[in-house]
Amino acid sequence: MFLALREIKYSKLRFLLISIIMVLITWLVFLISGLANGLSSENASSFQNIKATHFIVQPNADKKLNRSRISEEKWVEIQKLSSPGEVTPFGQKMLSIVKQGTDHKVDIAVFATDANGFLAPDVIEGKKLRNDAQHEVVVDQSLSEKGIDIGDWIQDPDTDQKWQVVGFTKGQMYSHSPVVFMNLHDWKSIAIKQTAETTTYYNAISVKMDSLNIHTLQSQVKDIDIITKADALQNIPGYKEEQSTLNMMMVFLFVIASFVQAVFFYVITLQKTSMYGVLKAIGASTAKLTRSLVVQMLFIIVLVILCSIGLSYGAQALISSSVPFQLEVGTIALFSGLFFIVSIIGSLLSLYQILKIDAVEAIGRVE
Amino acid sequence: MSGKVVLENISKWYGEGATFVKAVDQVSLHVQKGEFVAIIGPSGSGKSTLLSIMGALLSPSEGRFLLDNQDVTKFTKNEMAQVRLEKIGFIFQSSNLVSFLSVRDQLLLVSKLAGKKEKEAKQKSDQLLERVGLFHRRNHYPEQLSGGEKQRVAIARAWMNDPELILADEPTASLDSKRGRDIVEMIAKEVKSRGKSAIMVTHDERVLDLCDRVLMIKDGQLSERVATHI
Ligand SMILES: Nc1ncnc2c1ncn2[C@@H]1O[C@H](COP(=O)(O)OP(=O)(O)OP(=O)(O)O)[C@@H](O)[C@H]1O
Ligand SMILES: [Mg+2]
Repeated sequence: MFLALREIKYSKLRFLLISIIMVLITWLVFLISGLANGLSSENASSFQNIKATHFIVQPNADKKLNRSRISEEKWVEIQKLSSPGEVTPFGQKMLSIVKQGTDHKVDIAVFATDANGFLAPDVIEGKKLRNDAQHEVVVDQSLSEKGIDIGDWIQDPDTDQKWQVVGFTKGQMYSHSPVVFMNLHDWKSIAIKQTAETTTYYNAISVKMDSLNIHTLQSQVKDIDIITKADALQNIPGYKEEQSTLNMMMVFLFVIASFVQAVFFYVITLQKTSMYGVLKAIGASTAKLTRSLVVQMLFIIVLVILCSIGLSYGAQALISSSVPFQLEVGTIALFSGLFFIVSIIGSLLSLYQILKIDAVEAIGRVE
Repeated sequence: MSGKVVLENISKWYGEGATFVKAVDQVSLHVQKGEFVAIIGPSGSGKSTLLSIMGALLSPSEGRFLLDNQDVTKFTKNEMAQVRLEKIGFIFQSSNLVSFLSVRDQLLLVSKLAGKKEKEAKQKSDQLLERVGLFHRRNHYPEQLSGGEKQRVAIARAWMNDPELILADEPTASLDSKRGRDIVEMIAKEVKSRGKSAIMVTHDERVLDLCDRVLMIKDGQLSERVATHI
């Protein structure tokens, strides 16, 4: 502590500069992680919050719900093999709609489901979805930012089908679009009208079962594929690509930050070789010198992490709500922990230098 | 067998075959309490090597080295570090102060390493700085001091843990003759008044009159020389 802190105090500028560089990099890592988080929930909050455990899809649909078709007959067959409440049909479709009377198009994701099933949305305002009503939808509240309110009618300009918004739900986004929930009755008219299909279909059957029962089900029904909720999430169009790009950026920044720190300490350790020789000669043990170096690194890294966290929350407060940015305590804790560990590993390089120094070099010898 | 520092048939050699060098050859030496010994000799004669052995920095290839009746040659590396910390004070050719510590912290570091109490250490460091005439410079950093001042700080640092033995390797090499003499006088006075032992390697003939004994080393072999000059 004695040496570590006094050196920082003496070489203020040097340590300040390296800290600034590291704060900027760490800050960027946190910002990107916030963005990745925000984007992922904007992209797929409906699936992150979904109460299903698995989805039954068509075998050759490549695990993608939008490509999958499950016929009415198959649904009846599956329904017979499972108990009520375990399975519910799921229809999904991307549409562009307008508010009736305007011509400004808005992209939405239609989710069709049994209004009494486990996929039915929780309503935060207005009425719930009903199976016996016609042309009623419950929508994600973000549609209100587009001027669509409870009581308004929305319309598909291509087919002139219309639905009335009766309630708002929240946290229901799919593929960067707000979700519009409708019952299976309305779905049938959409599904036939909008596609070449002539019979009713669903995109998937959502399942809430433990994995044992699901395997039995799979062996009993021919021509189905069962995917997990996580698989379905990863296969939302664009989701995997978006997240892996951001993750790759974070990994690279991580590596850069650790290298910058490790190299900085390595270089200043090299510069201090003769000083370490003298300290060893006057009786400082290697353990004490090592501790001093580690204290120094940890001091810097803790300060850097705290500054970056502060800056990230500051940024969150300043960033406008239209940018999908969302810091998560868990992610920040994880990255902070990783930074901490990585910088300890990086210090090994310098520690090795200290170990190598021989006290006898302090006495002027002809080498 | 008596004395603070006892060397018995100490040899040190480096390398093998064609590169074999016998740096120190069968050296025996006794240094008493209150004695100030100078070692002189041509370049490459083994002075620094001998001093490193007496400083518990280097283990001899052969022979015994006793400090305060303890056989240092039997010690592990860590025990040797402990001996250096508690019993030996070093003054190096160029003062070798820690660049980022103030004059006072240079001294406090030593007591810190030895785990001594802070309050006593502060008193002690102030006393020592007073004695080398640098109290008014206690908050300065090495870069703000002259060569002689640095060397005086190094002396104060060497005294900090009250060592039995002071070892100096050409302490006057980087100083002019007046300043160099001041430094050696300071060491001599301390040795006499406190009953310590000191061994100094030097090239500087002009300070030899301040020492009790002068030893000559040549090709690793040590011989007594009567201090006769002027
Ligand atoms: N690590 C080493 N490996 C091999 N040979 C060494 C080593 N250290 C010293 N020597 C040799 O041992 C001999 C004595 O060296 P030493 O440094 O003790 O001389 P010195 O009397 O201090 O010389 P100077 O007055 O130039 O400082 C020299 O011949 C030197 O080359
Ligand atoms: Mg030498």
